[in-house]
Amino acid sequence: MSRFFSMLWQTAFFFSILRITAPILFAALGAVVSEKAGCSNIGLEGIMMISALFGALFAYWTQSWLAGVIAAMLIGALVAFMIGFFALKLKTDIILAGIAVNMIGDGGTQFFLYLFTGMNGNTSGLTTAKMLIPTVRIPLIADIPVVGEILSGHSVLTYAAFLMVLVLWVILQKTPLGLNIRAVGENANAASSVGVSVLKYKYTALMMGGALAGLGGAFMSMYYSQSWNVNMVAGRGFIALAAEAMGNHTPLGAMLSSLLFGLAQALSIRVDGLPGFSSDIVSAVPYAITIIGLAAYAAIQKTRAGSAHRIRAPKSAR
Amino acid sequence: MNKRRMTAFNLVRGCASILVALLVAAVLIFISCDQPWLALRYLILGPVIDFKGGASFNLMSLYTIFGSMIPIMFTGLGVCVMFSANEFNLGGEGCVMVGGFVGALCAIYIPMPAWIHPAFCVLMSMLVCGAIMLIPSLLKVKLGASEMVCTLMLNYVMLYTVKHFLTNVFADRSKGQTQTAQFLSSGRITALVMRAKFTWGFFVALAMVGLMWLFMYRTRWGYTIRMLGVNREFSRYSGLHVGGTVVLAQVIGGMLSGMGGSIEMLGRYTSFKWNSLPGYGWDGMTVAILAKNNPIFVPLAAFFIAYLDRGCQLMATYCNISANMIDIIQAVIFLFFTAEQFLSGYRQKLVVKSAKEELLAAEGGAKA
Repeated sequence: MSRFFSMLWQTAFFFSILRITAPILFAALGAVVSEKAGCSNIGLEGIMMISALFGALFAYWTQSWLAGVIAAMLIGALVAFMIGFFALKLKTDIILAGIAVNMIGDGGTQFFLYLFTGMNGNTSGLTTAKMLIPTVRIPLIADIPVVGEILSGHSVLTYAAFLMVLVLWVILQKTPLGLNIRAVGENANAASSVGVSVLKYKYTALMMGGALAGLGGAFMSMYYSQSWNVNMVAGRGFIALAAEAMGNHTPLGAMLSSLLFGLAQALSIRVDGLPGFSSDIVSAVPYAITIIGLAAYAAIQKTRAGSAHRIRAPKSAR
Repeated sequence: MNKRRMTAFNLVRGCASILVALLVAAVLIFISCDQPWLALRYLILGPVIDFKGGASFNLMSLYTIFGSMIPIMFTGLGVCVMFSANEFNLGGEGCVMVGGFVGALCAIYIPMPAWIHPAFCVLMSMLVCGAIMLIPSLLKVKLGASEMVCTLMLNYVMLYTVKHFLTNVFADRSKGQTQTAQFLSSGRITALVMRAKFTWGFFVALAMVGLMWLFMYRTRWGYTIRMLGVNREFSRYSGLHVGGTVVLAQVIGGMLSGMGGSIEMLGRYTSFKWNSLPGYGWDGMTVAILAKNNPIFVPLAAFFIAYLDRGCQLMATYCNISANMIDIIQAVIFLFFTAEQFLSGYRQKLVVKSAKEELLAAEGGAKA
């Protein structure tokens, strides 16, 4: 047990929390922006898988990680547009459209991988150093003893993920675009009555969400596991949905709950292989914590709504 | 628009969406394959026709299709019940895994007479899966937590819990692979055609189709479940027991998936060795979508999916193409089959035509 705790107090552990949180955070931010426009995009998982594959492939074809990341973003936005087309134009239930995208993310990616490269299961044979997202040493911070070791030396996208929290908050709260997206999500009829194009902002929000999830996918295949392989996203897109709900539909809240899941996952990786811990049970913990977190959040929301109701009740009784 | 014309339109639209899916498949085949016609022939005709030495009807292959229909019929029925109530419970996948595992354990460790043993195993897995589905349904009813996110997470919890018990508690160490001991012969579900894995489970599935149809369309509970799907607020105001019905629908859905898992396990295998989610839960969703949530159409939909799946596998064996194409075909069916506005222009024309006919008939009546 003492070995366990000494392990936790290493800077490498805190470093790994940030690294593990980043892809979940990207997808969770994607969920936030889609949800703000009133679209539940459960296809984020599939989008991450598809973008992860095409990000890695484009990076391989161009031998440039930047091209790969941009391709992943574009593909993510494109797939989200497809969900939007079916859900908004052809009136497919958006949940079912999301499930369809997840199916493509699961088996379809393997089909495309085989189609484009003739490989099965993973792209590890393709990976070269140029394709991997580079890490950054932050000048001043890196020299601070403990903090530097935790905060410096992450990949570009890890910083981008946390920066995105701020960017998305600004977009949603301080720009006309964000105002319109929120208006469309809160009351589409009201927004429409003052001349806001509901469809346009729903599409925009979905595609922004798709691009963010695409970045998460690129992070997975071009940094985290350094190649694309089957089931690599492993439910992170779904965890992101839970993080979005628990984070009270705000970028900052989504970041905090993503960090919680990052912590759970980092813990499970740390204790894996220690005597007395079953690696399978440990793998289940982050998902179980997500369920507990979801239930706790729902309970808090319910009591809040309940107390608000109680305060109002005497008024109506009068 | 009269009812007959509406039905006809729905039929046309359903066929059109399947056609679109097959068209997408054809396009993918032409892009990726050097012998596209051969690949198409295996995809479309391969499952029932044997091309070796002329073309003859392949009965064994048909039995194989029947065999692979078994698990997806059960998961399909489960999804029908849950989606009818508008409960997006996606836990079928995990329930199949747990159901298979519980069934396997009962078949290994609890000796019983041959007649009761499989039934007991299946019953136990139904109970366990039904109990597990209490978690998302009660969280939904009591706290308002999304059953969808909850069951997506629950799938992973179930997967890893089963893997934990498999590797650390029940593993048969004498084997190279991680697997349990052999099932007792009394616990196995006997096959009608051994090579095709066409077991008695098929008829149990058909019986369940009938039962679930009776349940959904001839009982009060089934009616309540369907009403919930049509209009939840209305159901609440008209005094239906909404919370209880939500729990009921999800528990039944879980039980059916668990049943499918254990029947598949005891029929197809001799020991438990799944180490990842088998995918029947998602196939079940496609089946339910194709069946329009009506249990009576589940066998037909399951046959279609099993047929296509077999076609894809044959195509992958004989041509240079990945069998994972089935997932893309399923996704396209998913997208178009439920698209309300798909072919809406055609529907509009039909509505106009009907209205004109009615008007004409009314005028004719007035003149006479």
